[in-house]
Amino acid sequence: MDTGALNLSSLLDDLHRRFEAAVAQARDERALENVRVAFLGRNGEVTAVQRSIGKLPPAQRPTAGKVINEAVKNIEAQLAIAQSRLENRAFDTDLAQTIDVTFPSIAPATGTIHPIRRVLRDAALYFQRRGFAVVLGNEVEDDYKNFDALNIPPTHPAREGFDSFFITDTLLLRPHTSPMQIRTMQDYKPPVAIVAPGRCYRRDAVDARHLFQFNQIEGLLVAEGIHFGHLKGMLTGMCRELFGEDQLVRFRPSFFPFTEPSAEFDTTCPKCKGLADTCGMCGGSGWIELGGSGMVHPNVLREVGYDPDVYTGWAFGFGIERIGLARYEIDDIRRFVESDPDFLTQLA
Amino acid sequence: MLVPISWLREHVDLPEDAQTIADRLATLGFPVEEIIRRPRVTGVVVGKIVTLEKHPNADKLQVGSIDVGGERRLTIATAATNVAAGQTIAVATIGAKLPQITIGPRKMRGIDSEGMMISADELALPEAWFEDGIMQLDRDTPLGVDVTELFSLNDDVLDVEVTSNRVDAMAILGLARELAASYGVPLRLPSFENPATNADPTPPSVSIESPDCTRFVAQRFDGVTVAPAPAWMRIRLALCGQRPINNLVDISNYVMFETGQPLHFYDEAQVADRHLIVRDAHEGEKLTTLDDVERTLGPRDLVIADARRILGLAGLMGGAASEVRDSTHAIILEAANFNGARVRRMSAALALRTEASSRHEKSLAPVLADIGAARAAQLLVALGGNAYAPQLFGAQLTQAAPIELPRREVLRLLGLDLSTPQIARHLQLLGCEVAANGDVLHVVPPPWRRDLTISADLVEEVARMEGYDAIEAVEPAIPAHAIPSAQYDLEEQIATSLQGLAYHEIVTYALQGTTILNNVARSGLQPSHRIVEVLNPLTEEQRVLRWALGPGIFEYLAKLDRPYRVFELGHVFSLDDGVIREEPALAFGFSVEPADEPGWHDSNFLRLKGDCEALLRAVAGIEVETTADIRGGYHPGKSAVAMWQGREVAAFGKIDPRLSKAFDARLPLYMCNIYLDSIPEYQRPIYRAPSRFPSTYRDLAVVVNLDVEADRIASVVRTAIGELCTGVQVFDEYRGPQVGEGHKSIAVRATMQRYDTTITDEEADAAIARAIAALREDLGGTIRQ
Repeated sequence: MDTGALNLSSLLDDLHRRFEAAVAQARDERALENVRVAFLGRNGEVTAVQRSIGKLPPAQRPTAGKVINEAVKNIEAQLAIAQSRLENRAFDTDLAQTIDVTFPSIAPATGTIHPIRRVLRDAALYFQRRGFAVVLGNEVEDDYKNFDALNIPPTHPAREGFDSFFITDTLLLRPHTSPMQIRTMQDYKPPVAIVAPGRCYRRDAVDARHLFQFNQIEGLLVAEGIHFGHLKGMLTGMCRELFGEDQLVRFRPSFFPFTEPSAEFDTTCPKCKGLADTCGMCGGSGWIELGGSGMVHPNVLREVGYDPDVYTGWAFGFGIERIGLARYEIDDIRRFVESDPDFLTQLA
Repeated sequence: MLVPISWLREHVDLPEDAQTIADRLATLGFPVEEIIRRPRVTGVVVGKIVTLEKHPNADKLQVGSIDVGGERRLTIATAATNVAAGQTIAVATIGAKLPQITIGPRKMRGIDSEGMMISADELALPEAWFEDGIMQLDRDTPLGVDVTELFSLNDDVLDVEVTSNRVDAMAILGLARELAASYGVPLRLPSFENPATNADPTPPSVSIESPDCTRFVAQRFDGVTVAPAPAWMRIRLALCGQRPINNLVDISNYVMFETGQPLHFYDEAQVADRHLIVRDAHEGEKLTTLDDVERTLGPRDLVIADARRILGLAGLMGGAASEVRDSTHAIILEAANFNGARVRRMSAALALRTEASSRHEKSLAPVLADIGAARAAQLLVALGGNAYAPQLFGAQLTQAAPIELPRREVLRLLGLDLSTPQIARHLQLLGCEVAANGDVLHVVPPPWRRDLTISADLVEEVARMEGYDAIEAVEPAIPAHAIPSAQYDLEEQIATSLQGLAYHEIVTYALQGTTILNNVARSGLQPSHRIVEVLNPLTEEQRVLRWALGPGIFEYLAKLDRPYRVFELGHVFSLDDGVIREEPALAFGFSVEPADEPGWHDSNFLRLKGDCEALLRAVAGIEVETTADIRGGYHPGKSAVAMWQGREVAAFGKIDPRLSKAFDARLPLYMCNIYLDSIPEYQRPIYRAPSRFPSTYRDLAVVVNLDVEADRIASVVRTAIGELCTGVQVFDEYRGPQVGEGHKSIAVRATMQRYDTTITDEEADAAIARAIAALREDLGGTIRQ
C-alpha cells in the first residue's frame, strides 16, 4: 500500500467524520444546505480534495478518483437521508397541530331572497318547465279589464266582493291578477299558456291574516282540447311541487263570473297533514284553501275575440302569501311586509 | 246562513252525522263555515202547571203542581215570576241533563222539588229572545212529550256559505233540493197552493209604475190577532239566528227562510184605499223605516207607497207608520219581485242591508212571490186568520227558453265521458226539464234557477252532481306559443345577482301614508314626480302611491338603525300630464357606519358603484360609464348616473344627509336606482384569446387640477398608447402639500402587450412618452417623479 493512497484514505475518513458530525447538528433544511455547500460546494472540502487529484502521479489518479467518487456518493446519499428526515420532521410538526373545528365560521357576505319571491318562483317554475310564459302587468288597471271584460258587469253582485282602491272613476289598483287574462288574450292569438304573478290591493284592514297589499299568481291556458281534468292535473302537480309529493288537492264547486264551471281548490294542510283535530293552520279541517279556478267563461273568450266553440281553457288565481304562511308556518302575514332581517335570514 | 239540520230533515232524509252532511254540501258548492254543535239535552218534557201556590217558607218561591202526562203530578218549586196556573211549559225532570247541570231531587226550603221549570237559556236558546223567566209552550202541546225531540233541539246547525249566483239556495227548501238531488232521494215539499178561496170583496190593488218591479202578489187577511208565534216557529227562527217578534213578523221571516221569498205585511188600516203604488221616490221625500231611522230618498230609490205617502223601501225595509202593531186585525201581504241591481244600488247608497235585501239584490225568481204568498197564507190560516184570494200584478210567469246541451260539450269542458241519459238524469234531479234529440239535450231549467243560461252552466251542474272528484286529473300537452317571459326573467336575474352581492330583498308598502311625504317635505326637498293619490283609502296610511322606491327603503333602514344592505323590486307611479305612469323599478342600497376618510374620497360610494356595475354586467352584459350628476335626494357631490350607449340606466350615490335626517336615519345611506325599462337585452360578449406574449406595465403619477376626473386621465392615457394598451387602472389619489393647493396626484398603471411578438422596453417607453405628452397637452397634467 503506498503512502499516497493511505493519506488520501485517512484524509477522507477524517472528512467523513466531520461531515457526519455536521449533518447530525443540522436542525433544519437551511443548515443542511450549509453542510452540503461546506463539503460539496464549489469551495467545499470534498471539492478541494477532488481538485488535488490532478497533483497526483498519473498512475495513482484512477484509483484516487474512484475512492473520492465513492466518498462523494456516500456523502450525497447521507445528505438525501438527512434531507428526508428533516422533511418528515416538518410534516410531523405540521400534522401534530389540531384546531377546534367547531369554532364559528368566517361567513362570506351573502344576501337573501324574500320568501314571497321564493314561493312565487317555485310556483312559476313548475309552469315554466311545462312551457308556460311568465308575464308581468300593471297594478293600476281600468275597470274594463278588472271587471267588465271578465263578465262582471257594473250591476253584478260579485263586483261588490272586490273592495278596491280607486284612483279615478274608472282606474283602480287591481284587486286580483285576473286582468292579466284579458291583457294576454288581447295581445296574443290562441293558444296561450301563461302564469302572471303580481301585486294586488284590496281595502282590507290589516291584521294577522290580512294585508291591503298582497300577491297573487294567475294562470291561463287556452287552446283546443283543454278541459277541467287538465286544470286538476296541473294544480295538483303544482301543489305537490310546493308542498311535497304526498299532497292531496281537492276541488269544490264555486262561483266566479269569469269561469264556468268554477272551482275552489284546497290542499292537504302541510302542517298536520290532516291528522290533527286541532291545528293552528287548518283549524282541524285538514285542508287549507288556496284559490279559485275554472274553465274560462265563453263570454270572456268572446270578449277578447276567441271563438268559444273552437277554444276552451282554464284559469286559476291564488294568493302567494297564503302559500308562504302555510309553507313556512309563519304566524302572521304582516311579517312579509315588515321584512325583518331575522325573518329574511331564517327563510333565506 | 244558519241552517238547522232538523229543518232540512223535514224535507229530505239525511245521514245522522252533521259532518257528513256538511261535507256533502261542500262538494255541491256550499261550504259549511262552521258546524254549530247543539248541546245534548235530555229529560225535558212538556208539563202543565195545574196549581201554583206560594211557598210556605220562602217569599220569593212558588210551588207548582205539574202535570207531565203521567199519573203522578210533580211538585216543583220555582223562583221565576212569569209563571201562572194553566201555563204549558218545559219541565226538566229528575235525571235531566241540561247544558250546565244534571237535575237531581233537592229540597227547597223544606219542600222536595222534583225537577225544574226551565227557561230558554237552559235549552241553549238565546235568553233575551224569549220570555223573561220560564219558557212558554203552546197550550195544545201534548203533555209528557220530550221537548228536545219535539223541537229537534239536539240537531246541530250549519253555517252555510252560499255564492252570489245561487240565491235559490238561500232557503231551506233550496238546500234541501240540492241534497235530495245529490243523494238521489225524494224531496218532500210543502204545498204551494194558496188556501184562500174566498173572493175578496174589497181587494187590495197595486199600480206598478216602475219596470224594476216584475211581479207583485197582494193578499188581504182579517181576523188576525197579534200575539207571540207558536213555540216551534219561534224556536226555529232562533236557531236560524232570527229573533222572534210576533206571529205576523215571524211568519214573514219564517217563509223567507223556508222559500227564500221576503214578504211584507201592511196594517190594512194604514194603507189608503188598500191601494199600493210601486214607484220611484221623488227627490227629498222622507220615510222613517222600521228601524226608526228617518231617510231622505230620491229617484234612485224604488218605494211602495199609497196615495198619500211612502210606506216602504222596495226589497229593503218597511216603513214604521204602516207596520203591524198590537191593534192590527187586518193586513195586506206583499210578496214582490224586484230588479236585483236596483235593490243593490239602493242598499249600498242607503247603507242598509237586510235579510230581504240580501236576497232581492241577487234577483229572485218571480214564481217565488206566488209561493211565498201561499205559504204565508197557509200559516196565517192555521193561526185562525181569514184569507182572501191573492191579487196578482205584473208580468205573467214565463218559462225559460231551452238550452241546447250536446253530449260532447260535457266531454269537451270536463274531460268526463258521460252518456246522454246520465247527463239528463243529473239535470232532471235538479228540476230541469230535459228532452233528448239524439246526443243533444234540450234543457229547460227550473224557474228558480235563473243562473242557468248557457250550456257551460249546465256542464257545471253535471260536474257538481257527478262530483268534481270524479274528474280525472291529467297533465295537458302545452301547445307552442310566442309569449315572452323577458321582464320576469330580468327581475329574477336581478334578484339572484343582488343576493350574490349580499343584498337582502325586502317588501315595503306601495301604498303609503302621508307621513312619508311629510318626511320628504321636512328635508326641504320635493318629491321627484307628481304624486298619484287614492280616492278611497281605508286609513291615512294608504293615501299615496309611491313615486320611487327610495322613501320606503329609507324608512326601513332608519328603523333598523344598523348597517344593512337591501333591495326592492316593485312598481312606481307618477302623474305625467294627467296620465298615470306606472313603471317597474329597482333600488338597492345600504346603511353603513361612516368611514374615516377625507371628504374628497368615499369608499362606500365606490362600493355602491362597484355593485351597480357588477349587477349590470351580470344581467345585461354591459359596461356602464359613470358621470357626475346631481339628482334630487342625493348628495350633490357624491352622486352619479350610469350611462350606456347614451341612455341613462341608473342613478346612484350617497343620500342627501338632510333627507336621511328627515327619515330619522342615524347612519349614512347609499342607494342606487336602476331604471328597469332602460336595461337593454343581454349583450352577448365576443371572446378574444389572450396573447401568448408577455405583457409589461408602466406606472405614472399625474398631477392635475382638482376638476380633472380620474376617468378622463385613464381615457387620455389609453388613447395615447393606442392598440398596445390592454388596460389602464387608476389606483391612487393624493392631495396635499406635495402637489399643492388646487391640485391632486392620480396614480395610473398602463398595461401593454402585443399579440404578434413580445413587446420591447423601447416600445413601452415610447408609448408612455406619448401618454405623458397627451396628459400635458389635453389635461395640463405634469408627471410627478
